[in-house]
Amino acid sequence: MLKFYGGKFLQYVIVIVLMLTLNFLLPRLMPGNPLVFLAGEDVGFMTSEEKNEILDKHGLNDSIPQQYISYVKNILTGDFGYSYQQKRPIVDLLKERMPWTLLLAGLGLVISTIIGVMFGALSAWRRGTSIDANLLTMFMFLSAMPSFWIGMILVSIFSAQLGLFPVFGAESGWSNLTGMDRLFDILRHLALPLTTLVLISVTNTFMIMRYSMLNVLGEDYIMMAKAKGVRDRVIKYKHAMRNALLPVATVFMLSLGFMLGGATVIETVFAYPGVGRLMFESVVSRDYPLIQATFLIITFSVVIANLLADILYPLLDPKVGGQREK
Amino acid sequence: MKSNRWAYYWKTLSSSKLGLFGLSILFLFLIIALFAPLLAPFNPMERVGQPFGEPSSTFLLGTNDVGQDILSELIYGSRISLMIGVIAALISIVLGIIVGIVAGYYGGKVDNFLMRVVDLVLVVPFLPLMILLAAFIGPSFWNIILVISLISWASPARVIRSQVLNLKTKGYVEAAKSIGTKASTIMLKHIMPGVIPIALSQFVMAASSAILIEASLSFLGLGDPFVKSWGTILYYAQARGAFLTDAWLWWVLPPGLLITTLVIGFAFTGYSLEEIMNPRLRKER
Repeated sequence: MLKFYGGKFLQYVIVIVLMLTLNFLLPRLMPGNPLVFLAGEDVGFMTSEEKNEILDKHGLNDSIPQQYISYVKNILTGDFGYSYQQKRPIVDLLKERMPWTLLLAGLGLVISTIIGVMFGALSAWRRGTSIDANLLTMFMFLSAMPSFWIGMILVSIFSAQLGLFPVFGAESGWSNLTGMDRLFDILRHLALPLTTLVLISVTNTFMIMRYSMLNVLGEDYIMMAKAKGVRDRVIKYKHAMRNALLPVATVFMLSLGFMLGGATVIETVFAYPGVGRLMFESVVSRDYPLIQATFLIITFSVVIANLLADILYPLLDPKVGGQREK
Repeated sequence: MKSNRWAYYWKTLSSSKLGLFGLSILFLFLIIALFAPLLAPFNPMERVGQPFGEPSSTFLLGTNDVGQDILSELIYGSRISLMIGVIAALISIVLGIIVGIVAGYYGGKVDNFLMRVVDLVLVVPFLPLMILLAAFIGPSFWNIILVISLISWASPARVIRSQVLNLKTKGYVEAAKSIGTKASTIMLKHIMPGVIPIALSQFVMAASSAILIEASLSFLGLGDPFVKSWGTILYYAQARGAFLTDAWLWWVLPPGLLITTLVIGFAFTGYSLEEIMNPRLRKER
């Protein structure tokens, strides 16, 4: 069991190291002046002293291994560098934006899991009927739609045409709302981005739940319960669904990576001030240090989520824990 | 014998409604892409009308912010979306086949190492990684393809490997090994044909996700500025606020519907191909 965790942990450490290395190498390996990637397009207008000053500040006059060590040290101590477009330390920007993304992705994860599980169970329970076929078709179509497009259509209908929801942002900044009013305001802004995120991610859970439930329904103990005359409701909820939930639990945390990636695009549509939108802004303004920092913070979050999933899994499934003890 | 097998695939594929539906969609888009110059009323790169024009008898879907015909943009866009999807999927499947066969055939340390690499690629959030790479290497047609295929080979590689593990124990492979056939010959002549069908279904699935990824990247402004895909059209629609006006009906709705239809075409074809490969699924569905 310890060996299992050791291997997993090592794997995540390697991911982090590789991504840090990639980030370190990208500005230095790309053709052109690495200064452009560190200080922006303005370097063309700088004097050679100014350039030298920047080179010194980023340690670019040091040897490559030295640069690498100080780069990793900086990141690990939370120093992500300076955004020359926004004229602020990147870490401050991340701190400001991260809560919004976590709110959006976290709620999205919970809601899409609940919906996916309910419909997946229903579909498997009614397997072969028209309900099953319709649900399958509906969810397959959903997963074929581009996420940003779903968002744009929702804004067109519910914000622009019907005026039910705000068009952009996470809250109405100019008004000084407090308490419940502010909460309500935030929820109103959250409604459409959250709906979009749920719509694009629910298919995955649905498919897994449906498949897992189909397998469970074929087990002997379900047959046994039926033969004993246990009521359908009890079989469905108590015997089948509880056991079918296990595979869903394993992908729950893993979906966080998908959620954060999806949030990048969705936050862009709704100008929702999260990390994903920050990544888009940095791409538009070619603010390379900021692109890298947003990528790193998303990768860190995903790795942590994976690690949590690995730790929690044996707790959920006694069979796995038991086998590994031996 | 060989032609019999393909005939059997075709029979199963065409007997499933899903597969036929998917194939007809793909065929339709292929026709549109091939005959785009004949079908499109205008050159999509030329300013032919007033900017922000509403639909009329000349411009069936109106005009965009610089007065180009949106319908013609959509028709030509099918070429870009199809090409990027198919080429990116092809590259990732070739990579996936190589990695899958080598890992599955040699086993042991080689397998262990390659599968760890696959795990690594699958852990990293792919869209942010693609955005990072695309931003650094610059937006162009081939860079987009490169970025998509660099990430998308991992999951096909894993599926193909498990098929190879299965094939490795077959009598004819063991026989070839025992008479001292070279490893490269066994992999090419004896194992490769066995993984082609499963690689085909993986290819179709990869194409459908490549099309969605291309759309997302183009929407974020990372697409090739000189070619117009459906994602690019939506990027401009978003940038010019078309979705806040009535223009959403002819500028936002159609490109997304086309992307969805094309992706569905690939996905349905892929699902029914998978059913052929895996008869157990056929019963369960």
